[in-house]
Amino acid sequence: MPLISPEDRRTLETLFAQELQDDVTITYFTQRESVMTVRGQECATCKDTRELLEEVTAISEKLHLHVKDFVRDEQEAQRLGITHIPAFILQGHARGTVRFFGSPAGYEFSTLIEDLLDVSKGTTTLNEKTREALSKVDQDLHIQVFVTPT
Amino acid sequence: MAHQLAIENAHITADVVEVSEFIDLAQRYQVQGVPKTVINDRAEFTGALPEPRFIQEVLKALQQKPEKKQ
Repeated sequence: MPLISPEDRRTLETLFAQELQDDVTITYFTQRESVMTVRGQECATCKDTRELLEEVTAISEKLHLHVKDFVRDEQEAQRLGITHIPAFILQGHARGTVRFFGSPAGYEFSTLIEDLLDVSKGTTTLNEKTREALSKVDQDLHIQVFVTPT
Repeated sequence: MAHQLAIENAHITADVVEVSEFIDLAQRYQVQGVPKTVINDRAEFTGALPEPRFIQEVLKALQQKPEKKQ
Protein backbone atom coordinates (compact mmCIF):
# COMPACT_ATOMS: atom_id res chain seq x y z
CA MET A 1 0.00 0.00 0.00
CA PRO A 2 1.44 3.39 -0.93
CA LEU A 3 2.48 5.77 1.82
CA ILE A 4 1.11 8.76 -0.09
CA SER A 5 -2.67 8.60 -0.51
CA PRO A 6 -4.13 8.89 -4.05
CA GLU A 7 -5.63 12.26 -3.08
CA ASP A 8 -2.31 13.66 -1.82
CA ARG A 9 -0.58 12.28 -4.89
CA ARG A 10 -2.98 14.18 -7.16
CA THR A 11 -2.41 17.37 -5.16
CA LEU A 12 1.36 16.92 -5.47
CA GLU A 13 1.10 16.19 -9.20
CA THR A 14 -0.62 19.52 -9.74
CA LEU A 15 1.75 21.38 -7.42
CA PHE A 16 4.89 19.91 -9.01
CA ALA A 17 3.60 20.53 -12.54
CA GLN A 18 3.02 24.19 -11.70
CA GLU A 19 5.90 24.95 -9.37
CA LEU A 20 8.91 22.74 -10.10
CA GLN A 21 11.27 24.70 -12.31
CA ASP A 22 14.41 22.60 -12.81
CA ASP A 23 15.55 19.14 -11.79
CA VAL A 24 16.20 18.20 -8.17
CA THR A 25 18.16 15.13 -7.12
CA ILE A 26 17.69 13.47 -3.75
CA THR A 27 20.73 11.44 -2.72
CA TYR A 28 19.55 9.05 -0.06
CA PHE A 29 21.83 7.08 2.25
CA THR A 30 20.48 3.88 3.71
CA GLN A 31 21.69 0.43 4.61
CA ARG A 32 21.29 -2.83 2.75
CA GLU A 33 17.89 -4.22 3.54
CA SER A 34 17.97 -7.79 4.73
CA VAL A 35 15.68 -10.23 6.46
CA MET A 36 18.29 -10.36 9.19
CA THR A 37 19.31 -7.37 11.24
CA VAL A 38 22.46 -7.03 13.24
CA ARG A 39 21.68 -6.08 16.81
CA GLY A 40 22.70 -2.48 17.41
CA GLN A 41 22.75 -1.72 13.68
CA GLU A 42 19.05 -1.68 12.90
CA CYS A 43 17.73 1.21 10.89
CA ALA A 44 14.08 1.19 11.85
CA THR A 45 12.94 3.81 9.35
CA CYS A 46 15.33 3.25 6.41
CA LYS A 47 12.86 1.15 4.39
CA ASP A 48 9.88 3.47 4.93
CA THR A 49 11.99 6.54 4.16
CA ARG A 50 13.20 4.98 0.89
CA GLU A 51 9.63 4.06 -0.09
CA LEU A 52 8.38 7.56 0.70
CA LEU A 53 11.17 9.17 -1.35
CA GLU A 54 10.52 6.74 -4.22
CA GLU A 55 6.86 7.70 -4.22
CA VAL A 56 7.58 11.44 -4.11
CA THR A 57 10.19 11.36 -6.88
CA ALA A 58 7.91 9.18 -9.06
CA ILE A 59 5.38 12.02 -9.20
CA SER A 60 7.50 14.29 -11.41
CA GLU A 61 10.11 13.66 -14.10
CA LYS A 62 12.06 16.57 -12.65
CA LEU A 63 12.69 14.70 -9.41
CA HIS A 64 15.41 12.07 -9.20
CA LEU A 65 16.38 9.66 -6.44
CA HIS A 66 19.86 8.19 -6.01
CA VAL A 67 20.01 5.50 -3.35
CA LYS A 68 23.40 5.00 -1.70
CA ASP A 69 24.65 2.49 0.82
CA PHE A 70 26.01 4.12 3.95
CA VAL A 71 28.73 1.46 4.28
CA ARG A 72 29.60 0.72 0.65
CA ASP A 73 29.50 4.40 -0.37
CA GLU A 74 31.32 5.54 2.76
CA GLN A 75 33.55 8.07 0.99
CA GLU A 76 30.61 9.83 -0.61
CA ALA A 77 28.74 9.82 2.70
CA GLN A 78 31.75 11.45 4.37
CA ARG A 79 32.09 14.03 1.60
CA LEU A 80 28.43 14.98 2.02
CA GLY A 81 28.60 14.99 5.82
CA ILE A 82 26.21 12.07 6.26
CA THR A 83 26.94 10.74 9.74
CA HIS A 84 23.68 8.92 10.50
CA ILE A 85 21.05 7.08 8.48
CA PRO A 86 18.45 7.39 7.14
CA ALA A 87 19.62 10.68 5.65
CA PHE A 88 19.37 12.52 2.37
CA ILE A 89 20.57 15.65 0.66
CA LEU A 90 18.72 17.78 -1.90
CA GLN A 91 20.74 18.96 -4.90
CA GLY A 92 19.64 21.35 -7.59
CA HIS A 93 19.87 25.12 -7.33
CA ALA A 94 20.58 25.29 -3.58
CA ARG A 95 23.63 27.46 -2.96
CA GLY A 96 24.35 25.85 0.41
CA THR A 97 23.70 22.34 1.71
CA VAL A 98 20.21 21.05 2.50
CA ARG A 99 20.06 17.78 4.42
CA PHE A 100 17.48 15.68 6.28
CA PHE A 101 18.38 13.15 8.95
CA GLY A 102 15.55 10.75 9.71
CA SER A 103 12.26 10.10 7.99
CA PRO A 104 10.41 13.19 6.71
CA ALA A 105 7.11 12.13 8.20
CA GLY A 106 4.36 14.31 9.65
CA TYR A 107 5.04 18.03 9.50
CA GLU A 108 8.47 17.47 7.98
CA PHE A 109 6.83 16.06 4.86
CA SER A 110 5.56 19.59 4.12
CA THR A 111 9.08 20.91 4.72
CA LEU A 112 10.42 18.39 2.18
CA ILE A 113 7.85 19.41 -0.44
CA GLU A 114 8.56 23.14 0.06
CA ASP A 115 12.30 22.45 -0.10
CA LEU A 116 11.94 20.53 -3.38
CA LEU A 117 10.15 23.52 -4.95
CA ASP A 118 12.70 26.01 -3.58
CA VAL A 119 15.72 23.92 -4.61
CA SER A 120 14.26 23.56 -8.11
CA LYS A 121 14.14 27.35 -8.39
CA GLY A 122 17.10 28.43 -6.25
CA THR A 123 14.89 30.96 -4.49
CA THR A 124 12.72 30.93 -1.38
CA THR A 125 9.93 32.96 0.20
CA LEU A 126 12.32 34.69 2.62
CA ASN A 127 11.52 38.38 2.79
CA GLU A 128 13.84 41.14 1.55
CA LYS A 129 15.02 42.16 5.03
CA THR A 130 16.00 38.59 5.82
CA ARG A 131 17.84 38.30 2.50
CA GLU A 132 19.72 41.50 3.26
CA ALA A 133 20.75 40.18 6.68
CA LEU A 134 21.62 36.83 5.17
CA SER A 135 24.05 38.47 2.75
CA LYS A 136 26.22 39.26 5.81
CA VAL A 137 26.84 35.56 6.36
CA ASP A 138 30.29 35.16 4.80
CA GLN A 139 31.65 32.32 6.94
CA ASP A 140 30.61 28.70 7.05
CA LEU A 141 27.65 28.06 9.31
CA HIS A 142 26.13 24.76 10.34
CA ILE A 143 22.51 25.02 11.46
CA GLN A 144 20.86 21.95 12.96
CA VAL A 145 17.16 21.95 13.68
CA PHE A 146 15.97 19.11 15.89
CA VAL A 147 12.35 18.13 15.40
CA THR A 148 9.94 15.32 16.27
CA PRO A 149 7.28 13.81 14.01
CA THR A 150 3.98 15.55 14.73
CA MET B 1 13.50 28.20 7.69
CA ALA B 2 17.05 26.90 8.18
CA HIS B 3 16.78 25.11 4.84
CA GLN B 4 15.63 28.31 3.15
CA LEU B 5 18.72 30.09 4.44
CA ALA B 6 20.91 27.30 3.04
CA ILE B 7 19.16 27.46 -0.32
CA GLU B 8 19.97 31.18 -0.51
CA ASN B 9 23.50 31.23 0.96
CA ALA B 10 26.46 29.05 -0.08
CA HIS B 11 28.09 29.25 3.35
CA ILE B 12 25.19 27.56 5.11
CA THR B 13 24.67 23.87 5.76
CA ALA B 14 21.25 23.22 7.26
CA ASP B 15 20.09 19.93 8.72
CA VAL B 16 16.63 18.92 9.84
CA VAL B 17 17.15 16.12 12.35
CA GLU B 18 14.26 13.88 13.38
CA VAL B 19 15.47 13.50 16.90
CA SER B 20 13.40 10.51 18.01
CA GLU B 21 15.36 8.43 15.48
CA PHE B 22 18.77 9.56 16.78
CA ILE B 23 18.80 9.31 20.54
CA ASP B 24 22.57 9.87 20.65
CA LEU B 25 22.14 13.28 19.00
CA ALA B 26 19.24 14.15 21.31
CA GLN B 27 21.49 13.45 24.26
CA ARG B 28 24.56 15.18 22.85
CA TYR B 29 22.62 18.37 22.11
CA GLN B 30 20.39 18.04 25.19
CA VAL B 31 17.19 18.30 23.21
CA GLN B 32 14.35 18.65 25.69
CA GLY B 33 11.95 20.66 23.57
CA VAL B 34 11.41 21.01 19.83
CA PRO B 35 12.13 22.59 17.51
CA LYS B 36 15.60 23.12 18.93
CA THR B 37 18.11 24.94 16.75
CA VAL B 38 21.86 24.62 17.23
CA ILE B 39 24.24 26.83 15.25
CA ASN B 40 27.89 25.83 14.83
CA ASP B 41 27.59 23.71 17.97
CA ARG B 42 27.77 26.84 20.15
CA ALA B 43 24.60 28.91 19.89
CA GLU B 44 21.18 27.43 20.49
CA PHE B 45 17.54 28.26 21.07
CA THR B 46 14.34 26.30 21.50
CA GLY B 47 11.03 27.13 19.85
CA ALA B 48 9.92 28.31 16.44
CA LEU B 49 11.09 31.90 15.96
CA PRO B 50 9.63 34.35 13.46
CA GLU B 51 11.88 35.08 10.48
CA PRO B 52 13.47 38.35 11.75
CA ARG B 53 14.37 36.76 15.11
CA PHE B 54 15.72 33.61 13.49
CA ILE B 55 18.11 35.51 11.21
CA GLN B 56 19.16 37.66 14.17
CA GLU B 57 20.16 34.53 16.09
CA VAL B 58 22.09 33.29 13.06
CA LEU B 59 24.02 36.57 12.77
CA LYS B 60 24.68 36.57 16.50
CA ALA B 61 26.16 33.07 16.26
CA LEU B 62 28.39 34.29 13.45
CA GLN B 63 29.94 36.89 15.73
CA GLN B 64 30.64 34.41 18.54
CA LYS B 65 34.19 33.14 18.52
CA PRO B 66 34.76 29.44 18.92
CA GLU B 67 35.78 28.43 22.42
CA LYS B 68 39.54 28.36 22.84
CA LYS B 69 40.98 24.93 23.11
CA GLN B 70 42.96 24.31 26.28
